[in-house]
Amino acid sequence: MSILNVNGLKKVYSTRLGGNKVEALRNVTFSVEEGEYVAIMGESGSGKTTLLNILAALDRPTGGCVILDGKDLVTLKDSAIAAFRRDNLGFVFQDFNLLDTFTLEDNIYLPLVLAGTHHKEMKRRLDNIAKKLGIAELLKKYPYEVSGGQKQRAAVARALITGPRLILADEPTGALDSKSTDEMLRLFADINRGGQTILMVTHSIKAASRAGRVLFLGDGEVFHTLYRGNDTDEQMYQKISDTLTLISTGGDIK
Amino acid sequence: MNASLFPKLAVGGIKKNKRIYFPYMLTCIGMVMMYYIIGYLQNSKALENIPGASAIVSTMSFGCWVVAIFSCIFLFYTNSFLMRRRKKEFGLYNILGMGKRHIVRILVWESIITAIFSLVIGLLCGVGMSKLAELILINLMDGEITYSFDISLGSVFLTTSVFGSIFILIFLNSLRQIKFSSAVALLKSENTGEKPPKGNFILGFLGLGVLAAAYYIAITVADPVDAMGWFFIAVIMVIIGTYLIMIAGSVLFCRMLQKKKNYYYKPNHFVSVSSMVYRMKRNGAGLASICILATMVLVLVSTTTSLYFGVEDALNLRCPNDINVTLRSNNFEGENEKIISELRDKIISVADARSCKRTDIVDYRGVAAYSTIEGSNVKFTGVRDENNSSSVSLIYFVPIEDYNQTMGASESLSEEEVMLYAHGKKYSKETITFDGKKTFRVKKLADNFTKSGDLAVSVVPTLYVIVPNLDSSLDGIIKDGETYDGGIASNYWVYGFNSADCSEDEQLEIRDGILPFLRDLLDSDDDPGNGILSARIESKAAERQSFYSLYGTIFFLGIILSIVFIIAAVLIIYYKQISEGYEDASRFEIMQKVGMTKREIKRSINSQLLTVFFLPLMFAGVHLSFAFPLIRKILLLMNLQNVKLFAITTAVSFAVFALFYTVIYRMTSNAYYKIVSGATDRK
Ligand SMILES: Nc1ncnc2c1ncn2[C@@H]1O[C@H](COP(=O)(O)OP(=O)(O)OP(=O)(O)O)[C@@H](O)[C@H]1O
Ligand SMILES: [Mg+2]
Repeated sequence: MSILNVNGLKKVYSTRLGGNKVEALRNVTFSVEEGEYVAIMGESGSGKTTLLNILAALDRPTGGCVILDGKDLVTLKDSAIAAFRRDNLGFVFQDFNLLDTFTLEDNIYLPLVLAGTHHKEMKRRLDNIAKKLGIAELLKKYPYEVSGGQKQRAAVARALITGPRLILADEPTGALDSKSTDEMLRLFADINRGGQTILMVTHSIKAASRAGRVLFLGDGEVFHTLYRGNDTDEQMYQKISDTLTLISTGGDIK
Repeated sequence: MNASLFPKLAVGGIKKNKRIYFPYMLTCIGMVMMYYIIGYLQNSKALENIPGASAIVSTMSFGCWVVAIFSCIFLFYTNSFLMRRRKKEFGLYNILGMGKRHIVRILVWESIITAIFSLVIGLLCGVGMSKLAELILINLMDGEITYSFDISLGSVFLTTSVFGSIFILIFLNSLRQIKFSSAVALLKSENTGEKPPKGNFILGFLGLGVLAAAYYIAITVADPVDAMGWFFIAVIMVIIGTYLIMIAGSVLFCRMLQKKKNYYYKPNHFVSVSSMVYRMKRNGAGLASICILATMVLVLVSTTTSLYFGVEDALNLRCPNDINVTLRSNNFEGENEKIISELRDKIISVADARSCKRTDIVDYRGVAAYSTIEGSNVKFTGVRDENNSSSVSLIYFVPIEDYNQTMGASESLSEEEVMLYAHGKKYSKETITFDGKKTFRVKKLADNFTKSGDLAVSVVPTLYVIVPNLDSSLDGIIKDGETYDGGIASNYWVYGFNSADCSEDEQLEIRDGILPFLRDLLDSDDDPGNGILSARIESKAAERQSFYSLYGTIFFLGIILSIVFIIAAVLIIYYKQISEGYEDASRFEIMQKVGMTKREIKRSINSQLLTVFFLPLMFAGVHLSFAFPLIRKILLLMNLQNVKLFAITTAVSFAVFALFYTVIYRMTSNAYYKIVSGATDRK
């Protein structure tokens, strides 16, 4: 069953004076099945962040539709969107987006508190996740007291704690060193094996090579898709880098 | 590098930061303007002709000092806020290859532009407003209005040098900050101190303790004379207490709330409480300053207004009679009686010549001496002992016939009896003994005695002893102006009357008509050895003029200083909102991503702003109510006994201030929302 359907998505940014128009997305169509791990790659400025923002209902498209779990996000009312986002989506960002006013624990609780969950229930859920992510010892610390990798793990915990239908990640390893990156990717793979659907935007071939499917975004469209099939991570890595070489040399891959 | 680049960069820097720079300049302009006006009034020709103008010079020069010192502290404070934001820009220039020498040159230009701009505009506004201020002041003083317009060069010079120095000091301070920090430190300066604050128990409770002690002092001090000294101690304690509570106590309070899981983990409280900790840490000092400024404004406005509007009350208190003559001598021979009756005739003839009806005539003789009262024994001390003033009483012997005549009573006393009228200190013994020699039975306590001017303002408790006969009753106690222990007593004669059907001018004429007679009496060449120590005349009409001059000036200065403090408070509020706006913008962006609706965010912002914003006002209100009894006692010293008037002006001041504060809140929170939503709307 497909959990996410994106059809003919279009996004045009118009500058303030209305003169210059930037067409960030022209016609994006794809779907994600339940339990899938999908990576989206593309050059800088190809519209990856724009796409993710629309999927997260943080921004509205100019045209096309996004059906998440049977609901059309585009027509969803503003007041319902926040609650919908809270209940169905989890986010992991490149720059962590943890609040410096909260301890890691409270940062992770934030979506649950907003949903009105009782604090005992929150504690129960956190205990599970924190052990899995290896941050049980760090919960009482503040973001400024822990490393980037640890911050990102807390952010992942915050995304997971609501039990979302879909996790959206924008360059989750972008600000991490290689060791933390490896840990983070292993974590994502683990979570995915546990049945979690993940959609990840990335520049990194290494990150994309862990995914089950890689979409290539360019000129406002998904112009190529790679499937893992039964490949190992290494083979997947090779396939992706071959594709990217082809793109950059202008070869036709369609 | 091209030399004209620096002025350009400086202007660009100011323009780019106009959100924080313009309010700063406006404040500078406001302070310069106020300073010029006060300086101008100090030298004003139009005010010189008003009776009692000497009060203006001293009051206004006091005002100059207050404004100068306050401006210095305050502009330093706001400039440090400005520098925090500018440093980042300077750090960037530094990293992009601009030497510190060049940055300093930009800074020099910025300072010069700011200083010249503020001084020129401030002086222009000052000159423009000074005439208006003068008219208002003359009006308050009940003086005559003139319509000449002039510029006080002295005040221009003074203003320029005072504020020039302040600007130079501020520049040097900025220079120091640039010189001693590295490029990286400059870049990061806006984000330093991200540590979440820990609640400091000791400081928090210390603040509470100091404040409680100050309140205790304020409500327990009983003696008006002591009140003044205690007032300043209490003020300092309140200031310290407020700062400690706002900075440490509030964080402590939030921390305690966070410990209560059932309370803390609720959508409404979760974000508010944790952000509040940060807000209070960042802005606790600012809030405390706002609170102190608000309290000062309220105290200033309520006291000076009630003094000014109570001026007639004070006047009636000070001068119960339109005309009042007091003669003091140490002549205890019969000759004194002759002087008195001659003078009485002259006074009456002067008054009657103007066909003024004399009513409410007060006419009594008396003998006065300082003493200490121990139990029922009155011990004469002679001169008033200043070191021991709290135990000293003034004893005033008045013959029963004069009492009856003045009060329109028909009391009688036997040889061993006296009547008492105590003012300031109660006397409740059955008998009274003087110097252990002579004892009288207290027949009764009189309900009232005439409130002569001396009695009205006396801070020394006074005991009137109505005796059957001055000579025979005092025989053995006071002889020839001396008590038996060598203390000095003196003879008094008080003569006063009202003349309601006379105009003020006529009353002044009466005073001027009587004055020569009093001079004659004092002139020892004409009549040597008459024993007259002093001869005074008080005219209510004359007093009225000097009362209005003095209280009008005080009122005016109170308003001017209040405006200065309000400008300062508004700027602090504005900066607080702006700086919080920048900090919160990114935070609310994240919250939105995590699933808060715009409405929830807005509600949370609102409740936080509201709490933080009205905290200072609430504290100011509490401070004011505790200060009330203390200030009332001080006002007593300044002839204001009308508690109701003071209570009303205090309440009105507070209401008006609260209204004004709310308006400011509205306006500045718009600036805040603009910044915060500028960040969230982009998404
Ligand atoms: N708010 C905006 N207003 C106008 N144009 C925008 C806005 N946001 C993005 N764009 C434009 O849309 C295009 C896509 O931007 P987007 O941020 O989605 O790229 P991206 O693929 O995420 O790039 P990167 O890999 O560098 O993060 C770019 O050309 C960008 O300039
Ligand atoms: Mg991007």
